[in-house]
Amino acid sequence: MDSSVHLDNVVMNFGDFTAVQKTDLKIESGEFFSFLGPSGCGKTTILNMISGFLDPSEGDVRIGGKAMRGVPANKRPTSMIFQNLALFPLMTVAENIEFGLEVRGVSKAERKKTSDRLLELVALDGSGTKQVSELSGGQKQRIAIARALAVEPQVLLLDEPLSALDLKLRQHMRTELKEIQRKTGITFIYITHDQGEALTMSDRVGVMSAGKLQQVADPITLYREPKTEFVASFVGENNAIAGSVEGVEGNNVTVNCAGLGLLTGRGIGAITKGQQANLFIRPELIRVGQAADAGCDVRFEANITEINFEGSYLTLNTQIGAQNIAVQIGAEQYTADLVAGAKVKLGFISQDAVVIARGENV
Amino acid sequence: MFSQLKARFGGGMALGILAMIALWLLVLVILPQFLMVDYSFRPNLLPKEVGGPKDTYSLINYETLFGNQIHLAIFAKTIWSSVLVTLLTLLVSYPLAFYLAKVATPRQAALCILLLIIPFWINEILRTFSWYIILAYKGPLNALLLALGFIDRPIRFLSGDTGVMIGMVYAYILFMIFPIYNAIESLDMNQIKAARNLGAGWIRTHYRVIIPHAKPGIATGCIMTFMLAAGSYAVPALLGSPGSRWFTQIIYNWFFEGGNWNQGAAYAFLLLIICIGFIALVMRVFKVGLGDIAR
Repeated sequence: MDSSVHLDNVVMNFGDFTAVQKTDLKIESGEFFSFLGPSGCGKTTILNMISGFLDPSEGDVRIGGKAMRGVPANKRPTSMIFQNLALFPLMTVAENIEFGLEVRGVSKAERKKTSDRLLELVALDGSGTKQVSELSGGQKQRIAIARALAVEPQVLLLDEPLSALDLKLRQHMRTELKEIQRKTGITFIYITHDQGEALTMSDRVGVMSAGKLQQVADPITLYREPKTEFVASFVGENNAIAGSVEGVEGNNVTVNCAGLGLLTGRGIGAITKGQQANLFIRPELIRVGQAADAGCDVRFEANITEINFEGSYLTLNTQIGAQNIAVQIGAEQYTADLVAGAKVKLGFISQDAVVIARGENV
Repeated sequence: MFSQLKARFGGGMALGILAMIALWLLVLVILPQFLMVDYSFRPNLLPKEVGGPKDTYSLINYETLFGNQIHLAIFAKTIWSSVLVTLLTLLVSYPLAFYLAKVATPRQAALCILLLIIPFWINEILRTFSWYIILAYKGPLNALLLALGFIDRPIRFLSGDTGVMIGMVYAYILFMIFPIYNAIESLDMNQIKAARNLGAGWIRTHYRVIIPHAKPGIATGCIMTFMLAAGSYAVPALLGSPGSRWFTQIIYNWFFEGGNWNQGAAYAFLLLIICIGFIALVMRVFKVGLGDIAR
């Protein structure tokens, strides 16, 4: 079955405010797609347009090729998991799961069969007669998933459903969600401001900012090849080093950075000489001490201002002139001379850095 | 409570406040009620016989009602009509309360609530009289209905119970709207969205999700409306006809026209007891607890 979702040049205006700028995006059938962005970036509006709680001001949403304009929320082949789950507190667990089937006039025996099967899928067999209030946070989460799956949607919409859970449970639910998606083959559209969630679960991620879809790519591409300044700084940790472009040579762009001199990185998008630009280098791609000497074509010395031990890795906050640079090294690379106040040799490979012109696509 | 008050206002003031509350409760609320209960069990005697050998407690005043077919019929009709008034008020109020709580923007809701409240700045008798004018045989409502062609001759709203019903629904609508509005307002919008998302149409969303949540509010509104309707005097007196007498009018007659306070007190207490019993029954049927209502 075709359960692709096509945002066909949709625009959403609320009065003078444009919540979602013109967006054209096709989410493939059976894909796990995430919209990632800070709150207020328009990602929830997109979810509301797909689920039918809002009709776009322009354009249309197509699900499985069918135009959805004018189709009310209760007639769309979508099912949503809400941020606060929105389980019905006055119904039992089974009644919650069966609600969508009850609406469709499915017989009681048939409904029971489905809810038993789904309770088993989410590993809560035998909880059907419980009240919602008797469940723990993680259990409620699973019931919400079961309730949404009961109606056999073509598209499952997830509105930051994990944000209320504690870290361990959240990580566990990530794998579980991915597993359920694999088993059911339903298109998952996931909304989150948590890049960890988006990167670990998704086939593709769409990064949004201020109503605009900044970049759509698979997680690795998104991380390695950010197309805009926003993506470079929002997805993962990144050091932004400002400067003016000194020279452009094919793909390589040399930037003159205050205090650091000339740095080279891969240019992204249109960049011309003399432009203001940011050079982005990931903290974990910066090497320290001897490793910096070995393979790096960019080298400099910085002062350590702070050192944070995070378990499997360490972060060094360093300073060179007015520029702060964060460095991440594996715990095994720690040496006793890495202390606050000490000087440290740093280096990176210029191909690991990206240069993006400033003020574009912000 | 005293220590809290004392901490806030000092000993003398706290004592004064408590004394006033006690005075109000005991002298102005409880004592008169007890006096009436006492009256209702005693015979109606000439002033000089009060306290004499004839002044004994008995149930005779209560028995009077059960021996009087007309009074019994009016009693039953009062209860039944109050039920109807309650249902009609609920029917009118629920959609309005839902609109105010979940559909209207804050501005629209504020405007609506203001418009609902303004008429209640006017004295109840005046408001009821204005309905008397509206519902008159040659009044504006009949004129409008005739002009629109819905009817071909005027309706006698003011004979029979129609006028009383309309007047009461109007008089008690706020007592129904506000508790329901409060209850629906506290419902998470995502509950409604979830029901819609799972395929529920509007009717099912209401009876499966919104109404169960609003049940305590609905119960509170219904109880208030029912009690007010059953105990109403002004509306049936002004908008009713001799054929649509309310039980309160009979109580009034015992007191002020029959001069028999003892009989009137007994009737009044019977009305109160039956009403309370009726409410308890309805609450049990709809599985609403007292705690739900106080929530």
